[in-house]
Amino acid sequence: MTAGSLERVEAPAASGELDLSVVVPVKERPAPLDQLFDEYAAPLRAAGVRFEFLFVLDPRHADRAAALRGRSDDREPIRVLQLAQPFGEATMLKVGVDAARGRAVLTLPPYPRVEATAIPALLDALTDGTDVAVARRWPRQDGPANRLQSAVFNRLLGRLDRQRLHDIASGVAAMPRSVLRDLPLYGDFARFLPLLAHRAGYRVRELPCPQHAEDAHARIHRPGVYLRRLIDILGVFFVLRFTERPLRFFGLIGGSVALGGGVLLAVLAAQKLGGQGIANRPALLLAVLLVVLGIQAIALGLIGEIIVHLLATRRETYRLVDDDG
Amino acid sequence: MTDSAHPQLSVVVPLYNEEESVPRLIASVGAALEGADWELVLVDDGSTDRTTAVVAGLAGPGSRVRLVRLARNYGQTAAMQAGFDQARGKVIVSMDGDLQNDPGDILRLVAKLDEGYDLVAGYRVRRQDKMISRKVPSWVANRLIRRATGVPIRDNGCSLKAYRREVLERMRLYSDMHRFIPAVAAATAGARIAEVPVTHHARRFGASKYGISRTFKVLADLVTIAAIRSFRDRPLSLFGLAALASTLLGLAFAVASVIATDFRPEKAEALVLPSVSLLWFGLAAYLLLLGLVGEGALREFQDPEEGRPPLARELRP
Repeated sequence: MTAGSLERVEAPAASGELDLSVVVPVKERPAPLDQLFDEYAAPLRAAGVRFEFLFVLDPRHADRAAALRGRSDDREPIRVLQLAQPFGEATMLKVGVDAARGRAVLTLPPYPRVEATAIPALLDALTDGTDVAVARRWPRQDGPANRLQSAVFNRLLGRLDRQRLHDIASGVAAMPRSVLRDLPLYGDFARFLPLLAHRAGYRVRELPCPQHAEDAHARIHRPGVYLRRLIDILGVFFVLRFTERPLRFFGLIGGSVALGGGVLLAVLAAQKLGGQGIANRPALLLAVLLVVLGIQAIALGLIGEIIVHLLATRRETYRLVDDDG
Repeated sequence: MTDSAHPQLSVVVPLYNEEESVPRLIASVGAALEGADWELVLVDDGSTDRTTAVVAGLAGPGSRVRLVRLARNYGQTAAMQAGFDQARGKVIVSMDGDLQNDPGDILRLVAKLDEGYDLVAGYRVRRQDKMISRKVPSWVANRLIRRATGVPIRDNGCSLKAYRREVLERMRLYSDMHRFIPAVAAATAGARIAEVPVTHHARRFGASKYGISRTFKVLADLVTIAAIRSFRDRPLSLFGLAALASTLLGLAFAVASVIATDFRPEKAEALVLPSVSLLWFGLAAYLLLLGLVGEGALREFQDPEEGRPPLARELRP
């Protein structure tokens, strides 16, 4: 990633191999970063994990770095990556992992989401065959409004995946650095990380982590936010199901629309044969419009298929189990 | 046992939850290939039963059986491609893991390859399947596939096939293309294809992994293969022809609207017919533009390293 300029609060000197890089994309609703660091560093320190923190700063929050001054040292480096342009959270994660030096990475939202004491258990899960350990906020402390939203979101997405996950967008997940580096993440798809990881053949496991009290306040968003989220879900739906076979998606839509138009045309033709004039009927316009739209969708799907076919030799269509796994 | 790094023959079998079948499969392949130089590549497609453990117990160094484990259940096409990628033989044979194919047929397929073919497909005689739910759909599907792909294969559903290595190096399977391997092999690798009758057993263990509701998927894949075939050499022709047809329809409606309004002004066709005409013209323009996108993709995405030219036989004059 060359998008951001790199600025270090304090020059960290890597002392040997690090166990963990904590990557925090600072974009939405950031808490004071020094408090966040103190809270999450303590249990890691207690568990004997050698870690570094990487804060990837959105340009809007450039001033947040100041709070971290003086906290970083050689044993527990804090690194700040300042982006010059705003990017999606997934891209910010990629920026972080690109600079990360730990064998494992932990993604954290810029505000406390789960109790920090639950984090070492996530890391432990990585040692027993799990590739991606996702924190599920459980037990939850928040009110019915939040939980309803969360349930709807996870239920919609749950249909996409045979493995039923309860808190896909928790944002707290631990995985080997190579996994995050290789995941096809971009734009706003960070919230679907567990789904994309499972899709890519990684073993994803959910672990219950008590919800943080500060995460429990009611969140009612503007309608635009829900609309964007719905579009994201549609996007991830397409990506997970149809990127290898676009014609099945466009063909189904186009085929049904064109079929509707065809049926209408047939009815009109029957009326014409029955002696009724149809040239002045708006229904004729509608029928032809439907057929045209259907053909357009199918043609688009075909172009997609041709592109997929041309790129097939370059794509990994499967992943093998790691030899040590 | 010998452990040859480059055996003559690789048998590739995708497995998904076949713990009961696997030991018999390995035994019968071994018996059928007695005396030949072979390896058996078993691809575990993310099984949730004990398939992996059973195979792992029988594979290992010094054994002719090799285990390839996919990270999750990717489906038969990807599993087969993984097996092809791992196979080291000069000749590669694919078959089902559920004992419906008879390993005794393998050497007959390979013998047919030696007659100068690149791909030999088995076709099942006296199929041991239910009439209505399996045989009828498969008869219809095979007719359709023959028509759409231009490859006269009787039985596309039979997994037992033998390939020369060169064929597989020239094609890559994705999506659900395992149903159309001969068509893909003909279209991209230019393979010479023959058919050989093979035995078909009824399933002994486990449940069939197909349903009857895959018509639409097969149909969409067929359209794709037909399009790729026509697109390969003349990218614009497919979309150009469609655009031409749409233009003609637009013209027809334009003429109809002129006739209707100019000669019989008492009628109120002034709006509907010209609008319909415009719709068709709009579609024609759209299709032409899309054809150009495809042409651009063909130029840009041709893979100079991976995409090898089709096979050709050198004849002695």
